[in-house]
Amino acid sequence: MTARAIVSILGGLGAVVLWQTLFVLNPDGPVIAGPVDVARWLTSNAGLVGRAAGTTLLAALWGFIWGNLAAILMAAFVVVLPRTERLVSFAALAVFCLPLVATGPILRVLFGAGAGPQITLAALAVYYTTYLTLVVGLRAVPQAWSDLVHLYGRGAQTELCAIRARASVPYLLAGLQIAAPAAILGAMVGEFTGAERGLGVLTLRAMRSLDVVATWGIASVAAAVSMLAYLAIGALSRLRGQGPPVLILSAGLQATRAPLWRRIVAVIGVTAALLLVWQVAMDVFGLPRFFAKRPGDVWSYLADPAARRTLLTALSETLIWTVPGYVAGLMLGAGLAAVLTLLPGAGGLVMPLAVTLRSVPIITTAPLLVLALGRGAAGTISIVAIMIFFPAFVACLHGLARTPGQVRDVFASYGAGRLRLLVSAQIPAMLPAFFASARMAVPAALLAVTTTEWLATGRGIGTLMALTASTSDYNMLWSAVVVVALVAVIAYLLVEAAERWVLSRYAAEQLR
Amino acid sequence: MTGRDVICTGLSKVFGGRPPVEALLPVDLTFRAGGTTALVGPSGCGKSTLLRLIAGLEVPTKGSVRIGGETPAELARRGGIGMAFQDASLLPWRSVRSNVALALRLARQRDDAGAVDRLVTLVGLDGFADARPAALSGGMRQRAAIARCLVTAPELVLLDEPFGAVDELTRARLGAELPPLWRERGTTAILVTHSVREAVTLSDRVIVLSRRPGRVVADIDVSGLGEADIGAGMEAVTHALLTLT
Repeated sequence: MTARAIVSILGGLGAVVLWQTLFVLNPDGPVIAGPVDVARWLTSNAGLVGRAAGTTLLAALWGFIWGNLAAILMAAFVVVLPRTERLVSFAALAVFCLPLVATGPILRVLFGAGAGPQITLAALAVYYTTYLTLVVGLRAVPQAWSDLVHLYGRGAQTELCAIRARASVPYLLAGLQIAAPAAILGAMVGEFTGAERGLGVLTLRAMRSLDVVATWGIASVAAAVSMLAYLAIGALSRLRGQGPPVLILSAGLQATRAPLWRRIVAVIGVTAALLLVWQVAMDVFGLPRFFAKRPGDVWSYLADPAARRTLLTALSETLIWTVPGYVAGLMLGAGLAAVLTLLPGAGGLVMPLAVTLRSVPIITTAPLLVLALGRGAAGTISIVAIMIFFPAFVACLHGLARTPGQVRDVFASYGAGRLRLLVSAQIPAMLPAFFASARMAVPAALLAVTTTEWLATGRGIGTLMALTASTSDYNMLWSAVVVVALVAVIAYLLVEAAERWVLSRYAAEQLR
Repeated sequence: MTGRDVICTGLSKVFGGRPPVEALLPVDLTFRAGGTTALVGPSGCGKSTLLRLIAGLEVPTKGSVRIGGETPAELARRGGIGMAFQDASLLPWRSVRSNVALALRLARQRDDAGAVDRLVTLVGLDGFADARPAALSGGMRQRAAIARCLVTAPELVLLDEPFGAVDELTRARLGAELPPLWRERGTTAILVTHSVREAVTLSDRVIVLSRRPGRVVADIDVSGLGEADIGAGMEAVTHALLTLT
């Protein structure tokens, strides 16, 4: 057993001890159930929880398979036909930014009873991270390997099959590792929308009956299952001799020199193409207009000032809590990573625990955090910050560690201290990882806030979507989906623009 | 299989970008069938670009390349071109044997295990056929890359600083042992190198390119030099290089 594994186990045990201590210190508090009570509840409900976990895992597995298959096909497509990348990547981002809270009820209407929504939402939750990591992996091939294929008159397809596919396996496994807990998250959101069985159903029942012990018990099982899925794929990577999974959070930023007007035209073109696909898909499948709204329906509905006012009020309530949580999560993640770097060995010790905790889906912990922190601004902002914190922290630790050895040697040769090295060399080396996590954090933050609003706070666009779904107000529901996706895409592009600006000034060599 | 004449006519290359980079000024060159020609010149002078244009890996801005009357693409499709790169570029997940055999597959040639094993032995890697590249030294990897380059029995061999990443002793040994492998077949060979000694001892003609944008500044015949004449040949090449500064 490695030192890191021992540290992880000790860290886990420490967390349980801390949990029990908090409970002992405040035994009558309404928000905390102790691990002993939780274990007792789980033992007496082992059959029920086991069956629910099996149902959720099965849906997650199917979603995992379908979502990743789609991601693999899309990544292969854009590598063979690079000109399609902008269209495919933008479409993938737009679909990924659709709020699961709203797509869940829509899918429930489309699929009816059964596991369809769970599987679809699990697939939607996983495909984007796998797509991004795989595109990076398929491209991360030395020029000479590509030359070898072209030297014999072979084209992009042979290059993909003979070279790129195999070379990208470590990246694929890294993507799958992140995807595994995400699939469980998607399946549980699907179960919230009216499923009959599963951990999501149990969570809803426990929350509605204010059964704190049951809520903690189910959350613990869901978190444990997610961590096990994450660790299992990590172990598979090591079995294949791939070493620790590479940290790939984005498809990389290209130093594009296309004029602004061309980029704007491209975005407009891709948006038009997406709207066309939406319209055609609805018509081809003959979905009833009552609930399957077309782009024109949403446009007409948003022309109504009252509808716009309702939507914008809810959106502003949401964003007021999202932005501080987003910024706080990023800053805390980057700040703690930087501080730990100043302490020798600390980063290496904390990393395994942080990586494992990162894999716990928000849906499993949101109910607990709401119970602990309340339904107001503090609770919501904290949930968003926690959701953002772990990926940002892990990414920044990796980024700080990537400072080239020769650069460290130069600083050491001049007797520079740790702080000087951190400020002048390590933070610039960390910037790409920081911005990559900042971009991926945009949809994650919106998912966290809308889920929390839906489950607990009773305000904001998450609640609006839940209410309109239950009252069959599909015009408002589809409009909310479009607006949230639009906000997410715009925020993502803004972060990307900030990334380009910062990197061009402070780490120009990081722009490819 | 014997080599072919390689004829470059008005061949030039400008890489796009802001500003565009003029890598190679129009050159007219004929590389004789069965001969070995070395390209030397300062870093960034367009040696590798010229080699890649001949291999068909870059599209010329102007001019053309004909190899025995065919375009590089036509010859490449049947495995008529072999190329060894500076860093060996072996696929790390394949064994030496499998890396060599890959060239046959890419060239749509019959999978000839006997030919693969013969070449692996010929380059001195018998006993390492099943080893992965990570288990080999730099020199051994270069030997494997040369075996891969030759397994399709190419009519044109292109070598882009093939011994650049190995130590001086290994470099000298590879330089002595490997060229006979393509010379015996009468294959046309073009070699890019930074080593004047390597250029003079391995080839029968040395072409000196100017600083970027590259143009031919000297075309020196070094064929048939005895041990005693190598110094004179090196002096001639060095003199041509010094005139560039």
